[in-house]
Amino acid sequence: MLINTVLMFLRELLPLCLLLATLLVWHRSVWRSFALYFALPSVLMLSLISLRMVWISEQLDGLGVELLYSFLYLSCFVLLCLSALKAQCALVSSALAAACLFSISGSNLLLYIWLPTQAENTPADLVLGSALGVGIGASIAVLWYYLLSELKQWRISSFALLLSLTGARQVMMASALLLQSDWLPAGPQLWQTEQLLSEQSELGFFLQALMGYEATPSLSQLLLYLLCFGLLFWCCSFMEKKR
Amino acid sequence: MRSLRRYLVTVLIALFTLISFVAALQSYKQSAIRAEALFDQDLQILASSLSQQYQAGSQQELGLALQVWQKGKLVYRSALAPQTSMSDAEGFSEHNFSGKRWRVFRQTPTDLLTVIVAQPLTQRQQLADEVITASIYPVVLSLPLQALLIWLVVSKALSPIKRFSAQLSSKKANDLSPVELDQVPAELDQMLKTTNQLFARLADAFEREKRFASDVAHELRTPLSVLQVNLHNASSQWQRCGISDPEGSMLALQAGVERMSALIEQIMLLNRTNPEHFQARTEQLDLAGLCRQVVADWYPHIEKKQQQIELLGLEHLSLKGDAFALRLLVSNLVGNASKYSAVGGSIQLELSAAQDKAMLVVQDNGPGIAPEEYNRVFDRFYRVGGDRHQSGTIGSGLGLAIVRDIVVLHQGRISLGASDFSSGLKVTVELPL
Repeated sequence: MLINTVLMFLRELLPLCLLLATLLVWHRSVWRSFALYFALPSVLMLSLISLRMVWISEQLDGLGVELLYSFLYLSCFVLLCLSALKAQCALVSSALAAACLFSISGSNLLLYIWLPTQAENTPADLVLGSALGVGIGASIAVLWYYLLSELKQWRISSFALLLSLTGARQVMMASALLLQSDWLPAGPQLWQTEQLLSEQSELGFFLQALMGYEATPSLSQLLLYLLCFGLLFWCCSFMEKKR
Repeated sequence: MRSLRRYLVTVLIALFTLISFVAALQSYKQSAIRAEALFDQDLQILASSLSQQYQAGSQQELGLALQVWQKGKLVYRSALAPQTSMSDAEGFSEHNFSGKRWRVFRQTPTDLLTVIVAQPLTQRQQLADEVITASIYPVVLSLPLQALLIWLVVSKALSPIKRFSAQLSSKKANDLSPVELDQVPAELDQMLKTTNQLFARLADAFEREKRFASDVAHELRTPLSVLQVNLHNASSQWQRCGISDPEGSMLALQAGVERMSALIEQIMLLNRTNPEHFQARTEQLDLAGLCRQVVADWYPHIEKKQQQIELLGLEHLSLKGDAFALRLLVSNLVGNASKYSAVGGSIQLELSAAQDKAMLVVQDNGPGIAPEEYNRVFDRFYRVGGDRHQSGTIGSGLGLAIVRDIVVLHQGRISLGASDFSSGLKVTVELPL
């Protein structure tokens, strides 16, 4: 169905587009180098994961893909912290962080396109759905880029705040996968905001892509999220002070 | 924002794409929901049409009409179907019966069996309309949002031009400082640089002109003073030696030098009070007190001509202005009145305040000025009657030009008219309080 393709593309591309737009605001003056550092590892990692997907999925009692994705999400967060702390490697680290996210989104999309169940979708559905998904994701990224540029100009801490939210989101995604794989204790569910703001609604979808909104978070997820958010925010503030 | 063009193109394309695609998705979702509901409704109608057969007196407005013919005999018909065949043509066709227009489908699977199904056209159109309306709504509703966002984006993009224009329009006549803007887009950068270069060149030119006029007047004043002293000495020597001057050449020479000195003095003052150059130091001052001082300054001259001068009206009149410039204004007006009034003439100064302005009226009983000359007397170096001024008074033709400049500087008004005396000139100056 068309709507499934659109949602699939949006779910995979929107977080990546938002992260790329945020990092481009940061590295606006050296965007060509950023693009280069981002493109090469992205293609390399995507090719490796896509080609070895079957083998990966069979590893670690069939949890290979989940654990690899968790690792990539966590790597993305660590690289963002590193780029905030070390000015010398900020460009390379942040490009690699984006590449980690790209390899997850890219391999998921490739899987979706080549999955046997795709036979139910007509090629027109796939083309139109992907065009809509890419169009919406790219448009939001452009608007996000200009909004962040304005915010950064007026209030530098707002940029640090949004970057920290984006970084913490990657940890939230990793924690969800680790919970799913039983590698992280679930703990009690803290609240239920599905009725108030559904993850399937437009706003819920956007907040999920931006800051890892979860309608039913567990205690371990929340603690991890807050810890990582605080850590990255501190790193960003440290970077600003150093400047 | 580095480039207005890039910003506008990318943001507008992104906005259009986002809103159009989201509207298309909403249309898709709404249409799918509506279509789902319609398919469910179709099932209900079919069930209802079949069940009406068994419900006596039940005649629903919406529903299907069904007929089953076997060997040319009607073996089944729903409540809405007539006794006669609804259609004789195979496939789709349209017919009228039961007071409605129907869309009919006739199928004959075997020679012995014929099934005819009909649905009212109004019902079909209504269902189609519902689906189409559901798909159009999001697109129509997105239009005001698009318009609002376009307005915001274009306003944001043009804000540097607006700020540039605001800075230019708020500049005072004598402010030639460069325009400074944050975040100058590429398209505006060259314009800003050129404008600032123009301001810098103009400031240099004004400064040179100002310095030149001032330097010339200053340099001329010293030799003229020496010339005046020498002339005075020469005249005294002539008198002591008993040299006669029947044609009055010495007197004419003295008058010429005196006039030239006055002219240079006035040129310096004109240069100083020019609104383009003058940096007014506004302060709260008492115009009545200032008038009294000017009258006191001129009194020896007035007394010498046996003239009468009176100051009427308010004893205190506080306003904001430049003390030097206003003193010069009153002095020029009183001086003109005294100079151009005959011996024994009368001069009157009157001060009043009305609403938000102060009024100073200076009038005399001299020869006055013809109304057609009123506008011209404010021109620089213009003297009524030219050099052959009937009063024979030494003048430069700059006094009223200076007065007008000072009035302009204080954003006031000046007007000339006939004096309240039997003859003479009345000068009315209005200054904001």
